[in-house]
Amino acid sequence: MHTLYARVNNVTALLSSCMMVLLAAIALSSFIFTADPKGQLAITNVQVVPGNARRYGHRQQDFAFVNFNVSADLSPLFNWNTKQLFLYVSAEYTNKKGVTNEVVIWDRIVRRKEDAKISLAGRNKYNFRELSASFRDVPPAHYSLKYNVMPHVGVLTYGEAARTVEPVLFPAQRQLS
Amino acid sequence: MLEYIQKVFEGKIDFEGQNLVEQIVRITLFAATVVSFLLGFALQSLQVTFGAFSVVTVALFLVVLPPWPMYNRYPVQWLPAQDTKAK
Repeated sequence: MHTLYARVNNVTALLSSCMMVLLAAIALSSFIFTADPKGQLAITNVQVVPGNARRYGHRQQDFAFVNFNVSADLSPLFNWNTKQLFLYVSAEYTNKKGVTNEVVIWDRIVRRKEDAKISLAGRNKYNFRELSASFRDVPPAHYSLKYNVMPHVGVLTYGEAARTVEPVLFPAQRQLS
Repeated sequence: MLEYIQKVFEGKIDFEGQNLVEQIVRITLFAATVVSFLLGFALQSLQVTFGAFSVVTVALFLVVLPPWPMYNRYPVQWLPAQDTKAK
């Protein structure tokens, strides 16, 4: 502590310890906020259309097109330690082989509290395909609206805001004229 | 000239000054941590937390790092040199 450099060393050492304590306290404070907002997710239309699977040359492949309505007020999830929300709609079904699949068909990043009130009619952003190339005889799927809360400091938390009450059937393949 | 620059950058303070600096640094940093957390939590803003913490830190650097006269009030009193060659 007798010279300038010794003082710089001493002060910054204690400063970094205090900063760590501060960051840990902020991370832990996230657990106080236990908002669990719920919304609605309604599937309005599902269509199954054949197409070319680009990855495998000219193999025929079914594509599902899902239209849905989402309404949810997720603004309670924004607290002082929330950086952004990642919202996604996923389809959950168990295929013929008994494998449980979860396919993300739509997502959105919400950066501001003002944008956290979601009310939209959307359709899948990402190709929705079955691994076996066909949706024939695939059991009905549940759809759910889920979110990740991304904090500035701390742990990523998951949650589910909405879920279809009844599983939704995959219709028969529609022939394109 | 070079000696003067060296002295400025060395910034020596006496033993009482070192004790004082230690106390100031401890109390200020601990208090800043607690107060900035509570302030940010109350206002629900991380910007307030880190703003307050960094303002206090910069102020602390200004108070503690330069060899202000208040840290040199008790210079060490050396005993007079003894003439060992006598006798």
